[in-house]
Amino acid sequence: MTDEHPFERRSLSRRRFVMSAAGAGASLWLAGCGGSSTEEATGGGGDETTAGDGGKTYTGPKVDLAFWNGFTGGDGPFMREMVSQFNSENKNINVKMVVQQWADYYQKVPTAVASGRGPDVGVMHVDTLATNAARNVILPLDDVAESLQLEEGDFAQTIWDAGIYKDQRYGIPLDMHPLGFYYNTAHLEKAGVSEVPMTREAHDEALEKLKGAGFEQPFWQSSTWPAHLMFMSLLWQFGGDLYNEDASQATWNSEAGVEALTWQRNLVEDGYSPPNVASDADYIAFKNEKNSFHWDGIWQTQDLAKTSLPWAVAPLPQIGDQKAAWAGSHNLVIMRQKSADENKLQAGKVFLNWISEHSIDWAKAGQVPARNSVRESAEFEALEHQSILAEQVDYVKFPPAVPGIGDAQAEMEAAVNRAVLGKQSPREALDQAASKSDKLLEDNKKKYGE
Amino acid sequence: MATVADEQRPAARSSDGRPPRRAVLTMLGSYLALIALTILFVAPLVYMASTAFKTNQEATRIEPTWVPKEPSTEAFDAILSRSEQTPVFRWFFNSMIAAIGQALIVVATASLAAYALARMEFRGKRVMTAVIISTLFVPPIIFLMPTYVILDKLQWLDSLLAVTIPGAAGALGVFLLRQFFIALPRELEEAAVLDGASPFKIFWRIILPLSKPALATLFLLAFLTNWNDFLLPLFVLFSPESLTLPPGLGLLQGSYTTSYEIIMAGAVVATVPALVLFIIAQRFVIEGVSATGIKG
Amino acid sequence: MPPLARASRVRTPRRAPVGGGALAYLFLAPYLILFTFFVVFPAVYGVWVSFHSWDLLLPNKPWVGLDNYRNLLDTSTPAGGDFWQAMKATGIFSVFSVPLLVVLPLAVALILNQKFRGRNFFRAVYFAPYVLGVAVIGVLWTLLLDPNIGVVNFYLEKVGAPQNIAWTTSLPWAWVALVGVTVWWTLGYNAVIYLAGLQDIPGELYEAAKVDGASRWGRFRHVTIPGLRPVLVFVVTITILASANMFGQAWLITGGAPGNETRTAIMLIAQEGLQNFRLGSAAAMSFVLAVFLMVVSLATFFAFRERKG
Repeated sequence: MTDEHPFERRSLSRRRFVMSAAGAGASLWLAGCGGSSTEEATGGGGDETTAGDGGKTYTGPKVDLAFWNGFTGGDGPFMREMVSQFNSENKNINVKMVVQQWADYYQKVPTAVASGRGPDVGVMHVDTLATNAARNVILPLDDVAESLQLEEGDFAQTIWDAGIYKDQRYGIPLDMHPLGFYYNTAHLEKAGVSEVPMTREAHDEALEKLKGAGFEQPFWQSSTWPAHLMFMSLLWQFGGDLYNEDASQATWNSEAGVEALTWQRNLVEDGYSPPNVASDADYIAFKNEKNSFHWDGIWQTQDLAKTSLPWAVAPLPQIGDQKAAWAGSHNLVIMRQKSADENKLQAGKVFLNWISEHSIDWAKAGQVPARNSVRESAEFEALEHQSILAEQVDYVKFPPAVPGIGDAQAEMEAAVNRAVLGKQSPREALDQAASKSDKLLEDNKKKYGE
Repeated sequence: MATVADEQRPAARSSDGRPPRRAVLTMLGSYLALIALTILFVAPLVYMASTAFKTNQEATRIEPTWVPKEPSTEAFDAILSRSEQTPVFRWFFNSMIAAIGQALIVVATASLAAYALARMEFRGKRVMTAVIISTLFVPPIIFLMPTYVILDKLQWLDSLLAVTIPGAAGALGVFLLRQFFIALPRELEEAAVLDGASPFKIFWRIILPLSKPALATLFLLAFLTNWNDFLLPLFVLFSPESLTLPPGLGLLQGSYTTSYEIIMAGAVVATVPALVLFIIAQRFVIEGVSATGIKG
Repeated sequence: MPPLARASRVRTPRRAPVGGGALAYLFLAPYLILFTFFVVFPAVYGVWVSFHSWDLLLPNKPWVGLDNYRNLLDTSTPAGGDFWQAMKATGIFSVFSVPLLVVLPLAVALILNQKFRGRNFFRAVYFAPYVLGVAVIGVLWTLLLDPNIGVVNFYLEKVGAPQNIAWTTSLPWAWVALVGVTVWWTLGYNAVIYLAGLQDIPGELYEAAKVDGASRWGRFRHVTIPGLRPVLVFVVTITILASANMFGQAWLITGGAPGNETRTAIMLIAQEGLQNFRLGSAAAMSFVLAVFLMVVSLATFFAFRERKG
């Protein structure tokens, strides 16, 4: 995932775990509320495994499917549970799940696929689909989408569009996992803040009141994860964007970007946050009631629910001129094989279908389903935190579907780090990152033959 | 060598025949330092072994325990049962094959080549010797990328061949054995030549038996180097069942980040053979290392 | 031996080869095949790769000439910036680890060099970590250095150190951790080499010095150090090279964190080539690093050599 810097492995594991858990959950949702496709997929009819079947049934000889993903940690067991349920329901398909850190996953999968020893199916973050499609790692899935009867109207627009590269669909969206605004309810009460701040003024006011009530450092700004996710959200809120139309240039060093990053840096300068907050320290501080506000992914709801902390979560406050929030999205993918095994391919499509259709439990792991009907169902609304954050679905954004975009994203991430740490002014950091990115984007265009 | 120890031998005894105080204090001080160091070196390993037998709860407590309060083999069970995710014993097996394989190849090829360089005459001998020895000074990193591409073209990626063969091409074995062969007295060989023995027979019947200690040392060093190799296997092996122990431990750490007891269990599996080998062949290994230092 | 044989031995030229010609090539063949394929060819091929933009998975591997190298000279390019940051990280690590790894093992070897029981035991104990390999060391110390549940912080806090030192994610602690772990890991190795060197110094030299009235320190300076010179050169050289090639500890313990501050040169090259799939750029980096290392090795060699005679 581009927003996960490849080597920030250890402290990010928890987030990735839940993120992946979330992903699987949403896919379950998709499947569960997918309407007629459920019955057809598991029903007795349609025994023929035609190429155009797109994953309804599999009646070929017994096959093993290797399913790789990055769901390390808390969400892994959820997915494993689903996999074993699938295996028991589909006697002639045996899915073996292997998890590893996302950074390792994105390094090993392409080379494994290239040498013909790759997995059969997997999960990928939506912003890596273009790169992997361009490198012939994954297969187009238009027929699978068709059989699931997935249409544009069934999904939030951005999530649906994000899986398309060069007019072909490469991923079946499982879920959406946005950032959320976590806050300590007891602190707000003590500080006399009656309403959760949703505007810039209200937010600044709340911070002042919290400080006045004795909470010295109410909002810690991390210098690493999830600082760049916050930056992207704020950049979009202030009306800016990451790249220009054809993704040949980075545009995060616009006034909007500078204002966004300055707002983040000011949290430190104005004393609301200690300097040098490293990964996880802000989250651990929130759990220990050392701060009152914390922006993080939806996946933390799982972890926080186990504590006795007085917490709640809300959509991101609108600091800028419009609403926007960062979200990630897991997609199910099928890997290219050196020698096509029709049976495995068919079985793989059946597996994707099934996962997609059995997403209900997965949402309980803390995910927002990508599927509109699922999100609007009563059962989902009953999931308190997920449904609160689901409100953001209309204004979440993803980086563009351009191969190699991760390289440029990494420069942005490093810039946010430098600015928050005060090593460079926000403008300098963003300018530096933009010029480095522009070169990368240019090289990539040549490399990928765009 | 007793002579050197003399350097540190207590100075002349005082009139009452007892060793002077200063020398005793030095001895005492030395012992204390050595023991303190020993604790520093052994304690982490003890902690590793102990944690491998803890429950997840105990392994992640804020207050570490040296002896498990609730000993359990659940970590080892986890490793054994998740065989598609973390086939630790498969990794052990792969490591064994690769290490033994590479060590055998090294000993076989290096001894033959070193003998030729040490005792035979042929055109280009000087140049060849110089080229081979000079590669000892070339930083190994420059080989990483091209080796990767070559392995890809050979279709050896993700197989044991990728971690067994390339490393055997190193020049250290040839260098050490050549030194060793050169230092051997020539009488036996010369007598054998006179008796009409072929060079191969001389090599096989005379040289090899004489070289057993050197060959054993080389085998051990090559085995250990391959057993512990991390960088190359990390990138040329990808499927869980193809890994060797070092990248396998990396995978274990990546997929079980907070289940330290499982990670330690894996580490124990990787450690035991190396330690056992070391304890048995300690002298060889240490003397082998020392020899490279003296000759280097 | 019968006199006749002895006589004939005298007549035979001293350096009679055992064999030669084609047979020699046969002996050399197995090794040479390996050597050619996995040493000579890759060295040359690596240069070739470095002149291209090379991604294994893309059909297109366009020729870029010296661009990969040029980028390295320009810190405003991503590759250049990353490379020199990694070189700096490697430099910082080496500056701190090399002196420690040259001096501390010598001290240990000097202590071990005394005549007493159990010396071999101690020697084996200190050497043992080296036998375990960087992977075991890496995961073990990741646990020991965990900021919340690690043993190191537990005991440090007891003696009044600040709470929850983030050994793996903050500076300067990450460097302390990496240097510390490396010293722990390889101290025994260097000590063993020193010990062998110390034992080669003839006792007579010490006796002579004592007779001349040299103090302990004097004996050390004038007998031990000169006697150890070749071993010292060796230890310094291999330690510098090992530090410059540090990879496993950074990969497993800090992952290059915070940000990329502890990302060493080798780690960057591996990432650039095998994770970001820019093999051409990575190959170029490896050659530049190699040149650096060779210069440093030669410099060390000559620096020590100068003082001779």
